[in-house]
Order: sequence, then structure tokens, then C-alpha cells
Amino acid sequence: MVFLGPGLLLLFLFVIFPAVQTLFLSFQNKDGFAGLTNFVNLFRDEAIWNPARFPTKVPPWGALLHNLVWVCIHLPLTVGLGLVLAVVFAKAPRWVGFARSALFLGIVTPMIVGGVIIRYLFEAHSGIIPQILGALGVPKPWSSGWMAYPETALLGLILGSIWLWVGFSMILHSAGLSSIDPELFEAAQIDGASEWAQFWYITVPLLRPVTIVVAVLTLFWELKIFDIVYVATMGGPGRASTVLALEMYFAGFRALDPYRASAIATLITVVSVPLGYWFAVRRLRA
Amino acid sequence: MRGWMLVLVGLIGFSAFCAESLVVIGPWSGAEAEPFLAVLKAFTEKTGVPVEYRVMRAEDIATVFPAQFAAGLTPGDLVFGWGWWIKEFAGHMVDLSSEIAGIPFVTEPIIVEGKAVGVPYVTWVKPGFWYRKSFFAAHNLQEPTNWTDFISLLERIETIPGVEKAAASGDGVGWPLSDMTEHFLLTFGGLDLFMGLIEGKVKWESPEVRAIFENYLLPFLGHASEPIEWTAALDMWWDGKYGIYFMGNWITGMVEDPNDLGVFTLPGCKAVVGGTDYMFIPKYSKRVEDARKLLAFLISKEGVALRVSKGGKLSMRADVGPENYPPAEAALAQAVGALTIAPDMDDTIGGDWQRAFWDQLKLLWVKPEALDDVLRILDQLHPAAKG
Repeated sequence: MVFLGPGLLLLFLFVIFPAVQTLFLSFQNKDGFAGLTNFVNLFRDEAIWNPARFPTKVPPWGALLHNLVWVCIHLPLTVGLGLVLAVVFAKAPRWVGFARSALFLGIVTPMIVGGVIIRYLFEAHSGIIPQILGALGVPKPWSSGWMAYPETALLGLILGSIWLWVGFSMILHSAGLSSIDPELFEAAQIDGASEWAQFWYITVPLLRPVTIVVAVLTLFWELKIFDIVYVATMGGPGRASTVLALEMYFAGFRALDPYRASAIATLITVVSVPLGYWFAVRRLRA
Repeated sequence: MRGWMLVLVGLIGFSAFCAESLVVIGPWSGAEAEPFLAVLKAFTEKTGVPVEYRVMRAEDIATVFPAQFAAGLTPGDLVFGWGWWIKEFAGHMVDLSSEIAGIPFVTEPIIVEGKAVGVPYVTWVKPGFWYRKSFFAAHNLQEPTNWTDFISLLERIETIPGVEKAAASGDGVGWPLSDMTEHFLLTFGGLDLFMGLIEGKVKWESPEVRAIFENYLLPFLGHASEPIEWTAALDMWWDGKYGIYFMGNWITGMVEDPNDLGVFTLPGCKAVVGGTDYMFIPKYSKRVEDARKLLAFLISKEGVALRVSKGGKLSMRADVGPENYPPAEAALAQAVGALTIAPDMDDTIGGDWQRAFWDQLKLLWVKPEALDDVLRILDQLHPAAKG
């Protein structure tokens, strides 16, 4: 206990106390106890929840839905791509190591820098994506500045962030691959199993614990995404790419409303915990 | 061991050196900061007090400083910030009444409960659309005298080979778009309507405001580029990809040849937005007296004359006149001399509305059909509507 003391003290001061304080504030307003008012107001605010436009009209759909869209697109792509890349690189010649390094660079790049890169990647005049699409005759806004248009801003952020995160998935899957007994693959080859069959019936099931860890951590990353959006679009145009953490920041530091900011923080936790629990416990048991 | 000792002594010496510097935090960087750095250098030469200048945008100051204040700390000894934000955190600022006594300011200091907490430092105006005289001369273009002329000018510019759109639209966090919108509101709505919008007495969805958007701003947007990062837009405009560019007068300090700059307001304009950068001294500074000395130098006749002589800004002292300006600023001062100066709308309202204003205009620029939503949200988020 003596040895645990300093760590527990730090944990209490910098994690537990602020979390409890945030929860407490989320049920308050400037006049005192407010019950669920802050949360009701959040769901009445189209900046947070605007399902009437989803999915038939272009964003904004509200920060909560934007986060969920982020999860639906980014999660399978980064987890799946990371797994595939790990397998490909494990079988590829040594010299392609530079490609693996390039992919891993994304995860060691500060997210603020990542946001700037995404912004310029999709910029109308200097961005490679609009330039290529323009050359192929794709119409606006796809061949223009993605961050400037509500149709493309959110998707651009999500696609751009895949490079920033896929290295994480790839490295963890690579580590998992190295722990699989090679005799399993040798036996399968002797039995005449194809590459695909080896991947599907050996690699994927044996990597399931790693995949779940990657998926859970990716999910949390997506639900608390902030820096990339802040730098690249500030949630715009017209809230078309805003996310919960950004709205929390605006409430806390621009509107100077700690109660609304705390309510959004609590909402992020409420959304994250069940999803994380479902992934981590239910799927692991399955 | 000896090596480590040397490193330690070096570090202590470096720390001591750093500790002596007065930390000034302001929003300008690159070419925009150079004239201000010259003034800081003059202060150091005069007083022997070294000054370290750090760049931090007003948005970041608004984010970082509240937590620092709560801890009784400050990252800077003299800081530049938004007026609305300084008012909000006035309790954390040093009273500068003695420093500003007797100074004939053009723009008023920020006084909260009898204490001067924000002091204006030079002024800027957002006079209208800038153009290159050489570009206009080469293509036989003239400044417009009425709205029809203005639209004709835009159409003619777009026929010039190499021009993408008639007008460049600067972006960043969104303020260049709000500057342009404010110019349209002032020109076609007048000062009373403009002030009514600031105070929340006039609604954005009111017919007269909607008419300005529908009849003037939206037709103009047909000739304007999509929002481009404002310094990149500046370069592209200077290189001839765009014919005109709406910007504040600090543009004169950011182009290769300020003497090639011409500027015109929208025809019929009688007021332009102008303002100042406010500075404050946090009461948690350990160098309050030195910071006071620096502030006094910055707002002295000598300090202001030196600053405005470098271009990009105008004097905030009535007794430092155009004779101190470079030719481009002198011409500008003459051009806007007859116009009323209106406060910057988004800087005055501040808070989350400011951010929403910028963001909604970014949407309007690429989706003019979103006008109804934009106006509705601007009304919804106005502090007057929130109570």
C-alpha cells in the first residue's frame, strides 16, 4: 500500500477527482442543481443532435452522429487495413520495411500536425486528392477543397485520419502475428490450404484478442477525436464536421459555460463506456 | 563529471538569461510581426530590459489563460487579446489607469469597475477591396462608383486570362469572411442597423438584413473564390489569380510593394470597420513594473510613431498623425478619413457567437442556398437571444 500510495494519490488528483467534479458540474447550472436539464438541452441543440438531416441531406447531422459516422467508417477501415497490412508486410521482402515505417509515421506524428497535413492534402490548389479527382473529371466539391464544403469535410477528415491511425493497428497486429506458431501455417500448407484459407481460418481467429484490443482503443480514439478536427476545419463549415469533444471545447472555452461542457464530457463517457464494454467483454467472451 | 558540471552551469546561466526577459505574447508572426519587433528592440535599447516575443493567437490565449489565471500564473507579462475576453477576465488584470492618464486615444481603453484593464495599441481598419494598381492599369480596370459598376468590374476581371475568380476569399478560422460581410452590412444597411445587430436589437432574419444578403452579398459570392487560407489567398491574389481581395490595412505590411496597392470601398459606403489590438498585464506577472514600463513605451508618442512608421497599422493616438506614416498608410488614412469607424462586430460580441459567425459564413460562401439556416443560427446563438 505504501508503494501504491503515490500512484493512487496522483490517480485520485488528476483522474478521479476531475471526473467526479465533471459529473457533478454536468447536473448543475449557474443557479445550482439543474437535474437533467443540461442533457435535455444537448439533445435539443442541433449542434449536438440533428438526426432530421441524416442521412438524406448533407451534414451537419450533429456532433454525436458525426462521431458515430466516424466510428462506422474509420473503425473497420483502420482495424481491417492494419490487419491486412500486417499480414502483407510479414510475407513481403525486407526492403519494403520503409513502407511499413511510412505507415507507422502516422501514429508518431502529433495529431495537430496531422490535422494540418489533412487540411493541405484536401486543399483546392495544393491538395493532391482534389487535383487527382479534378484531373479525372470528377465534379465539385470532390475536386475542390474538401474542408470547405459540408458534403466533403467530415469524410475528408475521416479518410485523412486513417493514415494517422492505421500504423497503430498494423503494429499491434504484427506483434500478434509473430506470436502465432508457424507450424500451424506449415501444417495448413501441407494440407493444401490456400493463402486465403490460411488467413481466414488461422490468422484471423488467432489474432482476435489483438483485433479486439485495437478495435476498443480505436473506438475510444474516435469518440474523443478533437485535435485533427480543430486544426483542419474547426468543426465547419456550418458545423458540418463538428464532433463532441470539439463542442465540449467550444462550450468550455468560447462560451465559458462549464456546465454544458461538463454535460458533453459526460455524454462522451456515457457513449464510450457501453460501446467499449460491449467490445471488450462480450466480444472477447464470444 | 567536468562535462556535466559545464552543462549544469550552462543551463543555470541560460535559465538566468531567460528569466530576465520580459515575455510579450501577441498574435502576429512573420512579416506582420516585424514592425512590432522593431519597437520591442527599441525599448530594450532604451531601458536595457530584454524582451522575448512569443506568438499566440487570440483564440489560444482565450483557451490557455483561464486555467493559468485560476492557478495564479501567467505565461506572459504583457499580452494582446480580444476586448470582450479582457472584459470577461478583468479581475485578473493589472489596473493601468496611471499609464494611460492624459493620452488622447482614438479608440477607448477597456475600463471595468473604474479600472483600466485593456489598453489599445495602434489601430487597424478594414477599408474595402484591395487591388494591384499595376493589374488594374494593365487591364484598363477602374474603381467602381456604383453597385452595377462593381458587378461589371467583377465580370470583367473574370474574363482576364489566368484569373480564377474576381475576388479572393481569405480563410483561417473564418474572420476574413466576417470582415467582408460586415462591410456589406455597413454599406447597404448603415451604421444603425449594424449596431442593432451587435446589440441584438435587430434580428438577422429581419427583412432588411435578409435583403442585404440576398441582393448584394449572394450575387457577389458568385464571383468570389471558395475560402482559402488567407495568407495563401494573399499570394495568389498578388500573383494575379484573383483581381481583388478584402483585407484589413495590415495587408500593406505583407506585400512586396505597398505602393502598388489600391483600395476601394463598396460604392456608397459611409462607414468601415476599425478597431485596435488590446493589451493587458496579468496581475500574476512577476515583472509587473517592467511590464508597465514596456506598456508605457508602447503607447508613448515615441513608441507609437516608431510603430506606425513601419507600416501595416495606424496610430491610436490623436497626437501621432499621418506625417509618421509610410506613403501607403498615409493614402489610406486620407481615404478613410471621411468615413465613420464602426466597431468590429464579431470582436465586440465575442464568445461562442463569434466562432459560430465565422463558421456559418464559411458555409454560406460555398452554399448560398443555406442562407435561411445561417441567419436562423446567428439569431439563435446571439447573446441577446440567450439572455
